[in-house]
Amino acid sequence: MSVLTWIEQRTGLVSQTTDFLTEDVPGGASYWYVFGSATIFAMILQIITGIFLTFYYAPSTASAWESTSYIYHNVPFGQFVISLHFWGATAMIALLLMHLLQVLLWGAYKAPREIMWVIGVLLLVITLVLGLTGYLLPWDMNAYFASQVAINIASSVPIVGNATQQFLSGGPGIGTLTINRFYGLHVWLMPAALVLLTVGHLTIFRHNGSAGPPVDHDLKRLPQGRFWPNQMFMDAAASFAVFAIIVLLAIFSPAPFDVKADPTKQFIAYPAWYFLALYGLLRVAGQTPQAIQPIANLLATVVIPGAFVTLLILLPFIDRNPSRQLSRRPWILGLTALSLVFAIGLTLYSQLAVQKEQAEASEGGAPAAAAAASNTLGGKTSAGASSTVGTGGGGSQVATTGGTGTGKGEQIFTQNCASCHQANGQGQPGVFPNLAGNKDVVASDPKGIIHTLNYGLAGKVIDGKTYAAQMPAWKGNLSNDDIAAVITYIRSSWGNKASAVTTAQVAASTK
Amino acid sequence: MAVHEAQAYKDDGTPEEQSRRTFLANATLAVGGVIGLVLTVPLVVSLIPESLLSPDKSAGGSWADLPKDALKQIAAKPGTPVNIQFSFQYADGYFPPATDGQSVWGVKLSPEQVTNFKAKRPDLFGNPADEVKYPALDATLGFVLFSPICPHLGCRFAWNAEADRFICPCHGSQFGLEGDKLAGPAPRGLDPLPFRDKDGQAQVTWIQYKSGEPDRVIVAYS
Repeated sequence: MSVLTWIEQRTGLVSQTTDFLTEDVPGGASYWYVFGSATIFAMILQIITGIFLTFYYAPSTASAWESTSYIYHNVPFGQFVISLHFWGATAMIALLLMHLLQVLLWGAYKAPREIMWVIGVLLLVITLVLGLTGYLLPWDMNAYFASQVAINIASSVPIVGNATQQFLSGGPGIGTLTINRFYGLHVWLMPAALVLLTVGHLTIFRHNGSAGPPVDHDLKRLPQGRFWPNQMFMDAAASFAVFAIIVLLAIFSPAPFDVKADPTKQFIAYPAWYFLALYGLLRVAGQTPQAIQPIANLLATVVIPGAFVTLLILLPFIDRNPSRQLSRRPWILGLTALSLVFAIGLTLYSQLAVQKEQAEASEGGAPAAAAAASNTLGGKTSAGASSTVGTGGGGSQVATTGGTGTGKGEQIFTQNCASCHQANGQGQPGVFPNLAGNKDVVASDPKGIIHTLNYGLAGKVIDGKTYAAQMPAWKGNLSNDDIAAVITYIRSSWGNKASAVTTAQVAASTK
Repeated sequence: MAVHEAQAYKDDGTPEEQSRRTFLANATLAVGGVIGLVLTVPLVVSLIPESLLSPDKSAGGSWADLPKDALKQIAAKPGTPVNIQFSFQYADGYFPPATDGQSVWGVKLSPEQVTNFKAKRPDLFGNPADEVKYPALDATLGFVLFSPICPHLGCRFAWNAEADRFICPCHGSQFGLEGDKLAGPAPRGLDPLPFRDKDGQAQVTWIQYKSGEPDRVIVAYS
């Protein structure tokens, strides 16, 4: 008696699996049918990588960024795993949208598959909620400010807005309770709902059978293909292609990770690409005349997105046209095309607007600290984030304090250095060196530290320890005067008692 | 149910079709295997703790300052252990280093007791190499510092002046002034901690030893 027979007799699992895989594919197997299974593959990838991230991630304001940073810099393959999760989210949403579009075009939502369609739209909504809640968890600058925008949108709803906003944040503002809530949603509630509804989606799929090509005659009269192994092979090939792309992106374009959220800093938040269309709608509303702006905002944030989702859910009940043939469904085709044009147009519009604002801001110097520090983390700025460091803003702030050399140095340190080395100079073990008592900082000859400030540092052993992060080069981003002031500051703070450094000494340092 | 409804499976088709299906089935399983492997390796490796990958990173530990008057306190009571509280920087996982409190038992030994100490603690002085390994006793100063953690199962013991010995409240292990085991289930004598006098400043290295074993195995330094 074989092992399989033994198992079969006790569980029935073998025959149930065979039964599940034995399925007609009307018209034969096709690469057109891979979007649903590829979405499920992406979902499984998200669940697996997500589980491994929870072995390190800890939700609270004191640990969210710190534990994410630990995953990035200390955990072996940590950056790879978190980047798989990052790109997996993008893949899952992209595949879901393709799947939805195909079902829409092929009329596969029509009777008897209305409930399957409704569940599918709910799965899309849940996946978007997962994207939104996951965005906050790293607790870096963009996580903080993008979530601030999302929560404020919720608060703009009339009557229930304030309660909704507080319910989402767990309090009057975004804080440690918000992280906990988003964590609970992202890690427990939404994945559980996602898996349960997916099981329902698949059960109904098996009940109704494959929808087949968009034709109006009886599908049973088409030649039938086999689900296993013919369609499964195509599903596997598509999933493999998706996986290969995600892996390559994770290796060559790791997930962005910025400095820790700092509500006192100015920062231009940018949403994930799948929310850019909604963000664009909000921007359009912001440009309407003052008088109608409250109404326009309400339309942009609640009414239009809400109506769109409601319409999607109700689609099989509104569209009673029994035909699935494209040529007989001009209205649906026209509306789909129109929605696509609007969505893509709004996405491009807000992408360009965000890029422009970020470029302007970095020229003005306002979010300089954030942009500069994000470079510090191995140069992993996201595509949209600005990467230049402005000096204008810093300079003007220094001028207003008008303090002594040390006062100015402290200002520059707070703005440019403290996000990594911390305000107390302690840094972070294994990532950012401690400056207090650091031999290189307090050396009687300051040439070394001047060189480090001017030209950066990477991979050097400091005081017997190695550090994961790179020190960026500041020459050109800070003036010689500023560099001298900040070196003087770090050489005379936190118990350090080394000599001051002059502008001339900084200028004399060469690569 | 689907088995008998499925039309496509009623006819096995030509031998070419059958062998093609076998190939597709194997290819599907192979693709699944490749994806599984590419995922499994980094995911499992990501769970390996830093301490296993580079166990020597913290080896040797660092020196923590004892309170300014610690030596005076210990010296004031020769022959009586003194509990000294101190704090040190301790990095726990991804948290920035934070101040952690600990205590040690400090004992001032007379030259005669130093001789006793060496005699009673063959586990520390059995061979000359061990003296380097456990630099607990500064012979010229005559001080020894003991970890306050019982080598049996990790409880905190205390000096009992009446009984003139250290007694652990959990399972009754007893130790003499020199840290030698007198009674109870403890598998070894008290654990000394590296100690030095740095320009008048007493310093200690906090070491956590594995409990329950006759041999002294270092679990962690800080």
